[in-house]
Amino acid sequence: MVDTGSWVQDYSLTLSHWLLVGAAVILVIVLTNRLLQSLGMNAEAATGLALIMPWVLGFLIFSLYPFLTSFYLSLTEYNLLRPLSLDKLPPLVGFKNYQYAITDDPNFWPSIRLTLLYGAISIPLGLAGSLLTAMLLARDVRGVGIWRTIYYMPAVLPAAATALLWRWMFNPSSGLINTILSPILNLFSLGKPAWFTDPQLVLPSYVIMGMWGIFGTTTVILLAGLKNVPRELYDAATVDGAGLFGQFRHVTLPQVTPTLFYVLITSMIGALQFFTAALFITTPREAGTFLQVYIWQQAFQSQKMGYASALSWIMLVLTLLLTLLVFRSQALWVYYEGELQQDGKKRVREPDLVAGTRASQQLSEGQPTPHGGA
Amino acid sequence: MATQAIPRENVSPVRGSSLKQQKTLVDAITYFLLALGAAIVLVPFWWMVKTSLTAQTRLFEFPPQFFPDPIVWRNYIDAWYALPVSFTRFTANTIFITVLAMTAEILTCSLVAYGFARFRFPGRNFLFILMLSTMMLPSVVTLVPTFILWRELKLIDTYDPMTLGAWFAWGPSYIFLLRQFFLSLPKEIEEAARIDGANTFQIYWHIMLPLVKPALLAIAVLSFIGNWNNFMGPLIYLNSGEKYPLIMALKFFEQSLSKEAPLFHYMMAMTTMMSFPLLMLYFFMQRTLIEGITAGAVKG
Repeated sequence: MVDTGSWVQDYSLTLSHWLLVGAAVILVIVLTNRLLQSLGMNAEAATGLALIMPWVLGFLIFSLYPFLTSFYLSLTEYNLLRPLSLDKLPPLVGFKNYQYAITDDPNFWPSIRLTLLYGAISIPLGLAGSLLTAMLLARDVRGVGIWRTIYYMPAVLPAAATALLWRWMFNPSSGLINTILSPILNLFSLGKPAWFTDPQLVLPSYVIMGMWGIFGTTTVILLAGLKNVPRELYDAATVDGAGLFGQFRHVTLPQVTPTLFYVLITSMIGALQFFTAALFITTPREAGTFLQVYIWQQAFQSQKMGYASALSWIMLVLTLLLTLLVFRSQALWVYYEGELQQDGKKRVREPDLVAGTRASQQLSEGQPTPHGGA
Repeated sequence: MATQAIPRENVSPVRGSSLKQQKTLVDAITYFLLALGAAIVLVPFWWMVKTSLTAQTRLFEFPPQFFPDPIVWRNYIDAWYALPVSFTRFTANTIFITVLAMTAEILTCSLVAYGFARFRFPGRNFLFILMLSTMMLPSVVTLVPTFILWRELKLIDTYDPMTLGAWFAWGPSYIFLLRQFFLSLPKEIEEAARIDGANTFQIYWHIMLPLVKPALLAIAVLSFIGNWNNFMGPLIYLNSGEKYPLIMALKFFEQSLSKEAPLFHYMMAMTTMMSFPLLMLYFFMQRTLIEGITAGAVKG
């Protein structure tokens, strides 16, 4: 059934489109440059604007337009089966979808609860573990390169592979985890835990799996942050009589808070968008579904595009609120050396803004695209 | 280690020996914990490879073997042909999507980054901040309208949705990283080239791009991994099995043949095959990759 003809056909179709779009984008750059200059703009500004045209177009087509449309759709009961045309727009139903989600949908709150709990448990544990590991590595241990290579390995694994692997490791009868635990379990004459198939243990299983998966990324980033702490500070602390704990409390921790902040934002957005791994693991219904999985189900399995859009807007608001909260909390715990502004407030540095944002893309979900998963 | 110890001993020679003892103890704990952590990280990898080489009949033995006996290399061949479409096609699909998306991404992101870094134009800062803030937008918000867009273009079940968008400089974090690199280059280089009569494109292609090669490589690696693992795209846009990339083949296998009685030996063989190129890429490009990940996170 597989003949090479179909390969060539499939690939050449996309390849030709790809080349055409590429040529069109280059053309747009050249034409914008010419047009702006002929309109009397100076050469530098015209070229600059022309060069960023690919992003401007991408922003309009893949961010702004879908963003506004999705809000409109969230106010309708649009379903996938109908084509969307300008002369026959789906009728508005007001905030009915939002109201239904918050008051009536039996699956909505469980999915919010699962998603938030997953983040609330896995992030602090992960950060503490990563910080400890990074501190050990920063002690000038031998072969730091090799340790780092090992610790980062799980982060390179596709989320799907991680999920299947852990599902198998958590297999109740002959998975590795229960094999290792069995002496302890026998000692207390306990039964074997069922992990992903026990509604009570689904969350802990996800947490363990997730920590293994992203541990390396946070460790590597925190290690880079620790390496930037000036040595003199430790020497000064030692002179002042600080022991190991004193050094940690008064030098390491404050100095590493900007990096911790970055990692916190990144992992938070990653946890909210937990998706790929969840689709490779079957869990009992009662355990709930992750928010993004639930949105995908509503949109592409139940065909309720309007409702899914409303849910995605709830997710957006939730993400923004949590991010804002963390940004606001910076003043309390993040230490920026020499970056105090006149009003005494701590300035948000540009990289921190990116922090939030680079997010899950590469780190946990491995999705490179901010533009609607396309 | 030595450089740290000497000034300490100079400060308080009396406490020197007890400090040394303390250091030995802390060292021992350090290496113990690091080894423990490494074991926790590595054992699942071993379990994955081990399972992929285990005979089906010995899969559910308790206690499980820690070394497969006999070693069943055939699992890889069987897994390769386990689905009606062979993994040759799935691998080709994955490479096709990844290469097209990655190439377009690198080209356009570097152009946009160069524009933001080197040219003054009205609204530059606003647009740059706007670009960064789009990263905050959860991808699921734009999912439905983007899907409708591709459907209206009659391009569902083609590779277009996974590859064409890359021409529009998707990946604000890549732009950010490249811009940082462009900013660090001295302006005199371009001025000299301009006096010699080079135009903007020549300067960008022959002078600027070679100078930011480390950043380009970092982005190439990140983008390769990202596109290789992209799941949401193929999941919603592809319907025909023979067009699936590896990740969807895995999903399909998990949901069909492996649903009732999971064939973990095949699934682990498939995940090993899918992960292998990424792990190789990682081993050979680690320094570059780690620079890419840590840039922007750490000040300096």
